[in-house]
Amino acid sequence: MPFLVIGLSHHSSPVAIRERFAFAEARIPAALQLLRDSGTAEEAVILSTCNRVEIYAFTTLEPRQAFDGLQEFLVTCHEYRDPLTDELYKLSEPQSIQHLFKVACGLDSMVLGETEILGQLKKAYDVALQHGHTRGRLNKAFQKAFNVAKQIRTETNIQRGSISIGSVAVELAEKIFSSLAARDVMIIGAGDTGEKTARALLSRGARSIIVSNRSLEKAVALAGELGGRAVPFEEWAREFPNIDIVISSTAAPHHILDRQKLEPLMKLRRNRSLLLIDIAVPRDIDPQVNFMENVFLYNIDDLQAIADDYLKQRKEEISRCEQIIREKAESILGSRYRGGAGSAVKPAFGS
Amino acid sequence: MNPANRQRSWRAAALTPCANPSLTYSDNVDWLTDQHSDRHFFLLSVAVYGVSMIYSVFLWRKGFREDNRVNYFLLLSAFGLHTTAMVLRGFRFNHCPVSNLYEATMFVAWTIVTVYLVVGVWSRLRFLGAFASPVLFGIGVFALMPGLDPTHAATAENSNVWTSLHAALLSLAYGAFGLSSAAALMYLTQERNLKFNKLKAIFSLLPPIQRLEAVVGRLLLAGFILLSLGLAAGAFDLSRLNNPHAYRGDPKIVWSGLVWLLYFGLILMRWKFAQGGRRFALGAIGTFVFVLLTFWGVNLLSPLHNQ
Repeated sequence: MPFLVIGLSHHSSPVAIRERFAFAEARIPAALQLLRDSGTAEEAVILSTCNRVEIYAFTTLEPRQAFDGLQEFLVTCHEYRDPLTDELYKLSEPQSIQHLFKVACGLDSMVLGETEILGQLKKAYDVALQHGHTRGRLNKAFQKAFNVAKQIRTETNIQRGSISIGSVAVELAEKIFSSLAARDVMIIGAGDTGEKTARALLSRGARSIIVSNRSLEKAVALAGELGGRAVPFEEWAREFPNIDIVISSTAAPHHILDRQKLEPLMKLRRNRSLLLIDIAVPRDIDPQVNFMENVFLYNIDDLQAIADDYLKQRKEEISRCEQIIREKAESILGSRYRGGAGSAVKPAFGS
Repeated sequence: MNPANRQRSWRAAALTPCANPSLTYSDNVDWLTDQHSDRHFFLLSVAVYGVSMIYSVFLWRKGFREDNRVNYFLLLSAFGLHTTAMVLRGFRFNHCPVSNLYEATMFVAWTIVTVYLVVGVWSRLRFLGAFASPVLFGIGVFALMPGLDPTHAATAENSNVWTSLHAALLSLAYGAFGLSSAAALMYLTQERNLKFNKLKAIFSLLPPIQRLEAVVGRLLLAGFILLSLGLAAGAFDLSRLNNPHAYRGDPKIVWSGLVWLLYFGLILMRWKFAQGGRRFALGAIGTFVFVLLTFWGVNLLSPLHNQ
């Protein structure tokens, strides 16, 4: 009984097509029932996220016949009438198992090594399990996938570090402050990256957000979204005694903060550590402030360099992860496919 | 008495702690089981501190990205040997081993490693060992220098519980100061990386600098309290002498007052004037270096401490 995967992802198709095949969470149990009633699959799991829609199935049919049935199911379910060429990929053993393991480890994700996909995969499996659409084979395959993900997480650096600016800023904050729980954050300027950075800090427990912008309306709107409060742009310096982290992303052509301005503000703060994240171009904060005691300044290049380095480390781990995945796939499939000669109906992209 | 009989009486004396007040290190006998076995155990512990120091260099070159468990267990082994040395010494002379420079130095080092082993249970602070091991090795080598462990009187003229308490508390205080300066060095390393070598800072496993600053502060405060108590015990002990005012200008007493003032100044600087961070760390290190460089010289100049 072969294990098959059929689907589309950000690798194979644009979002305009992917969104046509997305399954609403509430519809998945009924869709699985329909799939199994059609006789195409004995056991099945449907994974539907913003970057992929995939069906994992065990079938008694020949792979070619099963793939035709699965494609027909997808097209009928979503009333998709346009032709499909390379958007859909179809994998059979051993590539199908390897693909499942890669997805679980984040190796196939848009952000290499991201961990959110594992949670999504576990949820998709759980839904199928709860509704009785999985049995021994699929249970074994998915449990193995989760174990492989755990092994790769602990033995390699594929998930180590942050590769987004916001997450890097959070990591730096955690190197300075014992805990983010009692930290207050101020955003000067209402830019997109600043907002993402603030959200990242909030998600790690930062206590409050103050937003200051030349346009008070925008500041109020952003503060409302973040659960903070807005202050007029002329008054942001007054908040300094209470602030621990400042994210600056204004469109000012000059420095809005320099040593001369900062020195009296640090005295008001009783010289507590201050983290300044300057993501504006041109820079908002005079680089000389980094030489002040208890002040730590990072600009967009610093953050990007760290993110790039982490990404480089992750990429260096890909071959090691793939080796682990191959070994685990062999162990679950037996010696049939040792040497890599699979029986894929359609070669997987990049394989 | 001929030399052979003299050796036999020393061997007999070794079985009875403090029975013979004229035991000295200069007389050679067997290695592990002899009456100088405490020094041999201490020598072994210093050797292990040295190995730990070399391993710490490796950790530093790796940017503190490697787990520090190996170093922790090295220091734990050294601690075992060190404690054995102190216990043997204590039983041999029947008192807390703080009665001469060698013993006091050994005690200070023992305090540093003990506090580290407690603090190092928490994995993020375990790197403190990498900064403490050079200090421990240095102190250990100094303690083993000839001349620091002279003729050991079993019952010194002024030896009593207050003297022992004074010496023990001060040794504990200096141990706390020593570990505080190791934590301060860790703080300065991480602070510098966060400012000027950001990749190194983010990849290292050192704890947040705010936590390091808190550790420096707490150890320093603990040391200051112990120092105050130790000096108070010493003052009380002195007051019981026949002519305490004769020692008013004793170099060690003056020096101790200065050290107390220096640490008091650091505490005021941190808590009253909010001058933490780099200045505080440099102050902690600088003051301890001053103590290390002047302690033994002042001790030799002090008539009160060389009776």
